[in-house]
Amino acid sequence: MTDQANQSRRNFLYVAAGGLGAVAAGATVVPFIGSMLPAADTLAASKTEFDVSTVEAGQLVVIQWQGKPVFVVNRTAELLAQVDGHDDRLKDVNSEAIPEVQQDWMDTPEKRKYRAIKPEYLIVVASCTHLGCIPLFKPTQGRKDWGDSVPENWAGGWHCPCHGSYYDISARVVNGSPAPHNLHVMPYKYTSDTKVVIG
Amino acid sequence: MKMTKFVMAAVAAMVMGFSSQAMASGGGAHLEHANVDVTDQEQIRRGLTVFTDVCMGCHSAKYITFRGLMDYPEIGLTREEVDELRGEKSLMSGMISDLSIEDAVVSYGKAPPDLSLIVPGRRGGADYVYSLLTGYEHDPDGKVPDGNWNKVFPGNRIAMPDPISWLDHEADEAAELKQQAEDVAAFLTFIGDPHQNTRRIIGCWVMGFLLLLTFVLWRLKVEVWKDVKH
Amino acid sequence: MLDKIMKTQLFAWIDKRTDAEAIIKSQLTEYPAPKNLNYMWNFGSLALLVLVLQILTGIFLVMYYKPSAEATFGGFTVAFDSVERIMRDVNFGWLIRYMHAVGASMFFVVVYMHIGRGMYYGSFKAPRELLWIIGVVILLIMQGAAFFGYLLPWGQMSFWGATVITNLFGAIPVLGEYIGQVLVGGFAVGDPTLNRFFSLHYLFPLLLAAIVGGHIHALHVVHSNNPEGIDLHKPEETIPFHPYYTLKDAFGVAFFLLFYCYIVFFNPQMGGYFIEVDNYVPANNLQTPAHIAPVWYLTPWYTILRSFESKLLGVAAMGGSLAILFVLPFLCKSAVRSARYRPMYKIMVIMFFVDVIVLGYCGHSAPTATLKVVGQIATAYYFLFFFALPFLPKIEKTKPVPEGI
Repeated sequence: MTDQANQSRRNFLYVAAGGLGAVAAGATVVPFIGSMLPAADTLAASKTEFDVSTVEAGQLVVIQWQGKPVFVVNRTAELLAQVDGHDDRLKDVNSEAIPEVQQDWMDTPEKRKYRAIKPEYLIVVASCTHLGCIPLFKPTQGRKDWGDSVPENWAGGWHCPCHGSYYDISARVVNGSPAPHNLHVMPYKYTSDTKVVIG
Repeated sequence: MKMTKFVMAAVAAMVMGFSSQAMASGGGAHLEHANVDVTDQEQIRRGLTVFTDVCMGCHSAKYITFRGLMDYPEIGLTREEVDELRGEKSLMSGMISDLSIEDAVVSYGKAPPDLSLIVPGRRGGADYVYSLLTGYEHDPDGKVPDGNWNKVFPGNRIAMPDPISWLDHEADEAAELKQQAEDVAAFLTFIGDPHQNTRRIIGCWVMGFLLLLTFVLWRLKVEVWKDVKH
Repeated sequence: MLDKIMKTQLFAWIDKRTDAEAIIKSQLTEYPAPKNLNYMWNFGSLALLVLVLQILTGIFLVMYYKPSAEATFGGFTVAFDSVERIMRDVNFGWLIRYMHAVGASMFFVVVYMHIGRGMYYGSFKAPRELLWIIGVVILLIMQGAAFFGYLLPWGQMSFWGATVITNLFGAIPVLGEYIGQVLVGGFAVGDPTLNRFFSLHYLFPLLLAAIVGGHIHALHVVHSNNPEGIDLHKPEETIPFHPYYTLKDAFGVAFFLLFYCYIVFFNPQMGGYFIEVDNYVPANNLQTPAHIAPVWYLTPWYTILRSFESKLLGVAAMGGSLAILFVLPFLCKSAVRSARYRPMYKIMVIMFFVDVIVLGYCGHSAPTATLKVVGQIATAYYFLFFFALPFLPKIEKTKPVPEGI
């Protein structure tokens, strides 16, 4: 056999060994990184049941779902009316920007506006989409109750104390906020008139 | 699919044969061989029925949750079947017996061991479970009461009273009782290590890959070492 | 590949600040290795591989393991439950845990082969005495790490193994009682013991990694021994480590992984030798298992311990049997290294290997009168081997060693 043939066989073996070695290394990474994903029991514990009738009119309750805080607000007719009239000041009026802010049941303009299956009960993830702080609930309009922590034309909603993001009473982010998106809506469904299963 | 299942079953049988043999050699009494197939959904489900109807009267298997009965494809119950089994218990709860451990101690003088790990935790494994269930006899010395003398239990005196009514069974019942004992041994073998079938399948791929890698590295080594003059 | 990387600008930048090129040359591409090393010389790199695997799998297990002996339902504990959660609920947890458990045993398989090779070919003799002594330190730390680790699942063998070993120290006069208390943090093995063993089980591999670095450094100063056991003087007797031995080691690694993965995937308990049957039973401080023996890799020393009627003598003999390894380079006075040219030493050292296996077998089996005598004879030979070494050159006629290889 010629030297050249030897050389080409040697190169082939080098490439084959290197390729297989890379496959082996890649395959080894899978179980190790995989083990850091939520374990089966953690995944199974990812549903929360809650009775919305325990939230009084106009009040906000923070509950836990998958270790994250969740807002449940009982919106009065007055609060529901505050949803209208400031569409031009919102980043994502119809909650369409990313999948996390919408759900299948948002099939009418009404539901996209109220962002709730039952308009009076708003249920959203309570983490500011900027860096995860919990925004403060400042439901009434104007600066009367909140001083200059809110803008002059405040329509009522949430104010994030960390970096000053604003959300309206449907948890839609207001222009000029560092937060990029509306507060996330997680999957949930009513199993009875007042009982919801979140997750 | 059929091929995968065949390979799975063949490998499982081979390995279990080897390991149970090795374990059995350490034990005392002679154990009967149990025909156990951890890839056989029907056998495991029959074993589950024996487990819930008979064993769970006293024993728990806390590491197998009701959710697991749905999630492990080897058992694969539907949500409705699991709901019926668990009654008021949570889906996340282990299979806990309704008899409290304290009451069991009062009634039988001993806490019934949890059965989640009974197969890997006993010399002889599935064979031991099978032989124990079919090992009840009358005490040759006539001292131990019936139902407390077992030919494979260490020391022969066992607190667990003959669970499948093996003692004094009719001749024509023997086959069915043996089947029950084998089925529950299969179920217990499976829950002792519920990822064992996945493990063996992945193992086949890993071994195949490593054979190729070893061969290539061997040829490469030989090739490069041709430079070395001895 | 390597030479291409070494020509890049990035490498030049790094080299200027770390002298990387000189290190690579002196340690790999121009590091002279004897050209006649046989496959027994592969076990060093394999030991390094298993050490890395153990540390890696261990780091991921710790993400889920909980060192607590607090009781949970059904006679189990938090620690035992967390291990079962790894086996059942954590993604690939079963794989990582089996890799770790099998890896512990394979570590000893590989290291015992490595030590045996060193003894057979006289690798411990001048100028490699310190290299050998560092190796013995590694062995002791490994045994410690394995012992601490075995307690963590909190099964029956974990508990009773730890109880027996910590009670050994009670044999030491005056201080024994306090040493025992320092180890267990109480008056019997319990929750404090589990916590400190967990801490130490994490510490020891880090020590191990550092000392292995020292072992390799010492090796690269005095260079490898070879099957002929002679000093090499001519350049044509050596070849650069890279690519020849890196490729040979890579082949060895793949071949080893065949065995390792077969056990991990198809027989992780190894018939009760790697994971003992009784360790699937939760620890019970009121009931000792019918048959209790340490894991296989500690059984030779366990037999030495059991061979003496007096507890103190047994403990002293066991300690002595490990300590004597430190002075092996100074006991062996022959000018010839390799057993190939030492007919008497060859017989003695092969008998020594068989002897250790016999000791291991006796330690693993339930004690009987016959096995006790066998164990005592094996113990006697173990020490006889070492004590005979200084006198061996007086009677042994060595064969002429070759000039070169």
